[in-house]
Amino acid sequence: MLRPFLGRALAGAPLSAAGPDPATAGDDDNDIAQVRFYTMTGGRSRGPVALEFESMLRLTVAGRELRAGFTFERAAIADLCGSDTLSVAEISAKLRKPIGVVRVVCGDLVADGALQAFISTPSVVDDVSLITRLIAGVRAL
Amino acid sequence: MKIVVAGGFGVGKTTFVGALSDITPLTTEAAMTTLAEGIDHRGDVTTKTTTTVAMDFGRVAVDQAIVLYLFGTPGQDRFGFMWNDLIHGALGAVVLVDSRRIEDSFPALDYFESRDLPFVVAVNRFDDVLHHTLDEIREALSIDPRIPVISTDARARQVVKQTVLSLLDVVLERALARAGH
Repeated sequence: MLRPFLGRALAGAPLSAAGPDPATAGDDDNDIAQVRFYTMTGGRSRGPVALEFESMLRLTVAGRELRAGFTFERAAIADLCGSDTLSVAEISAKLRKPIGVVRVVCGDLVADGALQAFISTPSVVDDVSLITRLIAGVRAL
Repeated sequence: MKIVVAGGFGVGKTTFVGALSDITPLTTEAAMTTLAEGIDHRGDVTTKTTTTVAMDFGRVAVDQAIVLYLFGTPGQDRFGFMWNDLIHGALGAVVLVDSRRIEDSFPALDYFESRDLPFVVAVNRFDDVLHHTLDEIREALSIDPRIPVISTDARARQVVKQTVLSLLDVVLERALARAGH
């Protein structure tokens, strides 16, 4: 048995990093949840700050003051990150909101200074000393 | 830091993640945009459909400063933009294989190969039985001979740990090669 898909991922799959086209993101207009997400992010799939799913977030001192003016998702995110340093993925899971949307709202909060982000750079894959340390740590688990 | 655990439905991704995670695996939803080809009411145009895919993930505090996330995601026929986001900055991937349904892992293999993401193939032992030898599985997968094909047990923490270490060895090797060592 041979892999029938060899090469297809290169040739056929949409590999661009582009998010949903804002012009068509509202197509599912019978899906209320979809519309709600759309309004939360203004149709954006990227926030002003590039966050990864695993980027860790913590409420700042300024964020504690801004918190009083927050509503809905922003307030919920601020509260979660007030007591703990959490990743975008964990916030998404705890709020039961799609991760793409949560990431945009978190990016807004970082841009506003309400959250501090701890972002590992993509060059982490080239960081020999960090990877070595990770291996030692995993071995000791 | 993160690694991705991929494979077909029911292959044991969540069990694998949970075996190493400090927390009970959490679930998050990602919208996957795929192109639906064919004719619809607007005529002969390609339309986008959005499906929702659940990702289970866990976290491991490796030391005081390093938290490792493990994202378990289903292998889709098509990989939407969320997959690009998911592997962005990822160290590598563990592709879990059920030896009774090897073909379920093909889309994930294709994808990681095309993105040049380091990965290992880990054959999950169900009922403590491998239905094919590792050599047979390697042949069926037609992957680069340098890619490790190992057996694993998603239920056993120590075995899962060894599987992750196999991946990290590949990751380290690559980093060293790029650094000119």
